[in-house]
Amino acid sequence: MRRLPLTVIGGFLGAGKTTLLNRLLRHAGGRRFAVLVNDFGAIDIDSRLVVAHGGDTISLANGCICCGIGDSLVLALMRVLEKVDVLDHVVVEASGVADPARIAELALIEPLLARDGVLVLADATSVREREADRYVGDTIRRQLDGADLLILNKADLLSDAQLADVATWLRQRAPGLRLVPASHAEVPIEALFGLAAGDAPARDAPPRSPAANDATPDGPPIARWSFTSRGPVDRAALLAALRALPDSVLRAKGIVRFADAPRQRGVVHMVGRRIDVSADGPWGIADLRSDLVLLGTPDMPDAAELDGLFAGVAPAVSKSASW
Amino acid sequence: MSSTTIYPARRIITMNAHQPFASHVAVRDGRVLGVGSLAELEGWGPYTLDRSFESLVLLPGFVEGHSHAYEGGVWKFPYVGFFDRRSPDGAVSPGLKNIEAVVSRLRDIERGMTDAGQPLLAWGFDPIYFGGRRMNAADLDQVSTTRPVLVIHSNFHVLNVNSPVLAKAGIDHSTNVHGIVKDSAGKPTGELQEIAAKYMAYRASGIDLAGVLSDEEAVWRFARVAQLSGVTTATDLHNELPESTVAGYRRASASEDFPIRLLPAFGAIALPVDEGVRKLKALMQHNNDRLRFGLVKIVTDGSIQGLSARMRWPGYYNGLPNGVWNTGPDDIDRLLQAYHDAGFQVHIHTNGDEASEVALDAVERALARTPRRDHRHTLQHCQMADAAQFRRMAALGMCVNLFANHLFYWGDIHYSQTLGPERANRMDACATALRTGVPFAIHCDAPVTPIGPLFTAWCAVNRLTASGRTLGESEQIAPADALRAVTLGAAQTLKLDDEIGSIEVGKRADFAVLHEDPLEVPPTALKDVRVWGTVLGGRVFEAPAA
Ligand SMILES: [Zn+2]
Ligand SMILES: [Zn+2]
Repeated sequence: MRRLPLTVIGGFLGAGKTTLLNRLLRHAGGRRFAVLVNDFGAIDIDSRLVVAHGGDTISLANGCICCGIGDSLVLALMRVLEKVDVLDHVVVEASGVADPARIAELALIEPLLARDGVLVLADATSVREREADRYVGDTIRRQLDGADLLILNKADLLSDAQLADVATWLRQRAPGLRLVPASHAEVPIEALFGLAAGDAPARDAPPRSPAANDATPDGPPIARWSFTSRGPVDRAALLAALRALPDSVLRAKGIVRFADAPRQRGVVHMVGRRIDVSADGPWGIADLRSDLVLLGTPDMPDAAELDGLFAGVAPAVSKSASW
Repeated sequence: MSSTTIYPARRIITMNAHQPFASHVAVRDGRVLGVGSLAELEGWGPYTLDRSFESLVLLPGFVEGHSHAYEGGVWKFPYVGFFDRRSPDGAVSPGLKNIEAVVSRLRDIERGMTDAGQPLLAWGFDPIYFGGRRMNAADLDQVSTTRPVLVIHSNFHVLNVNSPVLAKAGIDHSTNVHGIVKDSAGKPTGELQEIAAKYMAYRASGIDLAGVLSDEEAVWRFARVAQLSGVTTATDLHNELPESTVAGYRRASASEDFPIRLLPAFGAIALPVDEGVRKLKALMQHNNDRLRFGLVKIVTDGSIQGLSARMRWPGYYNGLPNGVWNTGPDDIDRLLQAYHDAGFQVHIHTNGDEASEVALDAVERALARTPRRDHRHTLQHCQMADAAQFRRMAALGMCVNLFANHLFYWGDIHYSQTLGPERANRMDACATALRTGVPFAIHCDAPVTPIGPLFTAWCAVNRLTASGRTLGESEQIAPADALRAVTLGAAQTLKLDDEIGSIEVGKRADFAVLHEDPLEVPPTALKDVRVWGTVLGGRVFEAPAA
């Protein structure tokens, strides 16, 4: 069964969730997103792109739809799932006080959805103050703890030293956190959502719509590194290598033939710090080959460094990198 | 010339301080023409003497200030709660005293179902009275191993399902989702909580549950069940007000037979504020005698028993972490200010005392920015407020609607687990409201607890829990004060006290008609006073005998 990836975007009021969603809707790159938003009015859509505007849903020329959540996320999600056939990916904007990780768990009890990632935005200029607030401090802490990837937004408003300070503080309070600084929520959208043809979660790669093309949309550049091997992959070594990746690697996906389960198609899916490895049935007639792609910001380590990091995972056949 | 009817009654309890009791009431054009003795009323001219209430007691029609029309929606499905509950047709749905009784009731219903795929949904289940035994999937598999069976708990936040539902959702030992309860062996028990419960209820019910819960039929059932308990005005105190629901309200309330005045409150979070204000103003254009838009609702925190209330220090008695915001402090400020500035009255759900504090701060700030007399913003539930918070409500011109029914239904849990003895003994502090002069009502929050103002008044008077413990004698109030809280007090919290809530000249002829005199029965028997029926705008609605 085809499963739609579900991404949940969380973060406190003013952290930049809507900015990120607006960027996503502009750079959907041929994938048909359903974006569930709290405040319709805050979504800034070029009116020339709107093909239909009905009640709580706007349909766009690029196949995306934008839906208001109203007062019930559950019902809004249910309405979106009725359109499952014309969609490739569902994105939920969690309310400013919601726990986005809890919302993402709905994908684990909904056969039509696959949990993709929990992206949490934090305002670099105020996150420490918010975290100490007597009313919302615990809410902020739950959001930070549940983040697969933390986008530390409004970095441009701080000096380098201040930014480093906030980042250090965040890492101390949430060990293992993957954090990427950004301004105006400018994070490579393709890397966050796996937009390019080969970057979608393989088990549910969508049919490409004719309008799609692989030209990189404008916005911050994306770094990509890939790895192919015909030899068996050492599971522990792969997980160790993925865990050792720096924060600049935002996403990894792969179809892997593990040494300990050579007949199974292993699926590796990583967003930020969360790594999911699952078995996706037998290989069948597919080429017995492991592929892994890493996507990240331009700060991602260069090919030589990544080649080194993954050297012990399997006898590599080819690696490639592009920036 | 319109006709006048004079009703003699055994006693009329008016809630009018000038004339607290009387023997006759005259009605003309749906309104109270006069109250007094027959001789005093005869001066109004020719009349018909109607002796229907001669041996009965009249009170102002009860006003339920916090209920939900979902009460009517859920009656589409079988009730499987612990306590007897009256259904809209007047029949009593008997309480089920153990899990076996619930299973056997559901099995009977299942046998009668014809469509094999149709899910069986039931509601009102409450295992807290079953000595620790929880329901599990195996219990419900005895009802059916093929048909989805879903049992919603009385708090509407927890759900039990059978194996087919778990299988269809792919829930097994490997599913690590918050709110999916597992046994000691790591196997899901079939109990789901919070967002997982809500999701599964809607997903597996296979019907447009949201639609069914608030369609025209649901509004009718809600009105009927309210009327059976003597209610003539009731709120639907949180609704997104989609067009379909509004159309249902309109069609139902357009009928002369519709037995209540209905006041929906718009859930402020549903729309951006400018759109919300516009929508409400447009809806108010069509307000009429039986349907009034204009109330606004903000939900701040969750519930105490759901461990989601926002509490001040020292928090939950059992040490569990603080609850969650439904609407955060910044948004509470923003929404309250916008609707305050636009002239609306806002009802603010606050269960925990931290939520009450945030709401009080928000009202104080809104008033500093936009001074406004007689706004009557009302804290709803407000179960944990201390005396200082009540003094702030008084100073800020606020009202409060206290959740008295909680004392009975969850008081034991609050005493032993959530609040601890000290705060449980002062929860839903009606006597403090009286002492501090905050206009107050008491409520049922139906369908969370059954609608029944006499029962609610009994709770405020006696403060007895289900196990028989008295929670804080110092917060008990007199029967007369409790009856005021379900009539004129509630009308005040809805800004309708000029129109309803007491029996006096000029007001609407809305009466609760009772078999016994609630001020003469022992206070412990207040809940047992029988309702004969109601009068709404002069029209008589006799309730079927229970
Ligand atoms: Zn409430
Ligand atoms: Zn309520």
